[in-house]
Amino acid sequence: MTIQHHPSEALLTAFAAGTLDRGQHAAIATHLVSCPHCRARISLVEEVGGEALANLDPSAMSSGAYDRVKARLNELGESPEIVATSAPVEALNDVPGLPAFVRRYPVGPWKWIAPRTHLRPILLPKADGARLFLLKSSPGTTLLEHTHTGVEMTCVLAGSFSHESGRFGPGDFDLGDASVDHKVLVDLGEDCICLVAMQGNLRLKGLFGRIAQPFIHM
Amino acid sequence: MKAKSEAAADAAQWSRLIAAVATRQDHDAFAKLFGYFAPRMKTFMQRSGVSEARADELAQETLLAIWRKASLFDPSRGSASAWIFTVARNLRIDALRREKDLSAYEEFDVDAEFQVDESPLPDSRLAAAQAQARVRAELAKLSQEQLRAIELSFYEEKGHAEIAKTLQIPLGTAKSRLRLAMRRLSKLLGELR
Repeated sequence: MTIQHHPSEALLTAFAAGTLDRGQHAAIATHLVSCPHCRARISLVEEVGGEALANLDPSAMSSGAYDRVKARLNELGESPEIVATSAPVEALNDVPGLPAFVRRYPVGPWKWIAPRTHLRPILLPKADGARLFLLKSSPGTTLLEHTHTGVEMTCVLAGSFSHESGRFGPGDFDLGDASVDHKVLVDLGEDCICLVAMQGNLRLKGLFGRIAQPFIHM
Repeated sequence: MKAKSEAAADAAQWSRLIAAVATRQDHDAFAKLFGYFAPRMKTFMQRSGVSEARADELAQETLLAIWRKASLFDPSRGSASAWIFTVARNLRIDALRREKDLSAYEEFDVDAEFQVDESPLPDSRLAAAQAQARVRAELAKLSQEQLRAIELSFYEEKGHAEIAKTLQIPLGTAKSRLRLAMRRLSKLLGELR
């Protein structure tokens, strides 16, 4: 299926600039795995970054800075070291569409949070207020209506869902913030699995939401 | 601002210097890269909100990383300055994380966090080369002020006040210039869809 929903230019720029939190970075990276168009746009932003860097006003380096670095080149030996890529256990190997670095994050168990809906927390190395989790819902499920206290980014990994803005399938990216009031319907066919990055807390609406609320806190 | 041909000549020269470091561990080539980029890297790091001494250290670390990773530079995927930018960016992310959490002794593999290109399209290299040419052409059209404004987007919010001070303009003006410049950049990026 062709990807229909992309992150904004501002988000892609922030990704390439390296200013997103880890959860959001993971959500954008997951979209990039299946979106060559946005990968090309990231390369463009990096070109702009290079150009900007090369045009910065220089600041005088401390005296002897070059010699100190040169001494360390010799310490490292004559051949530049190739950076080894570590290959720890991939906890999320069975999930399609995730970038390798996300598959390597440790995960918690699947938790029931609502009828036909389960959540699996991904344990970020240092959470700095960011949350990242997988959300799995059965076909035909209406997800709880909710608003956000912060920004929520969703990237579909399998299955699909629909709301007012259209249909979202594998690779599609959806952004929700305090102004968005989601009413999400999981499409028929297969389980819908999404990677979700969230800042702040979900605010579920309605009686069921208030009952489920304590389960959302991870 | 530099003339277009001069900038293109610089770009080709930096690629050659990185290649010389990668293939021959050429110290003279490295000295030239250091001479040009270390002082600019220091400015880049300082604008990210670290002290002058720390920025100096990080500029040194970045040049050391360029020496060590030179063989990973692939000119068909992007320009030399873009690659140098990514090395600096990843080092800055690592440094800022360590600053926020002094107790974290884990090894961050920031490079891995930017490796998402697992299914490259056959024409992605050609596309990268075309994109580079487009960016250079578009950037050459921007005014010095607009280029400066775009720089703002490469730093976290807290660095913006300092940049505005450097440019000797009010923060609000810097931000509105950034919005205008980003709109131009967005238009360019949007055309790639």
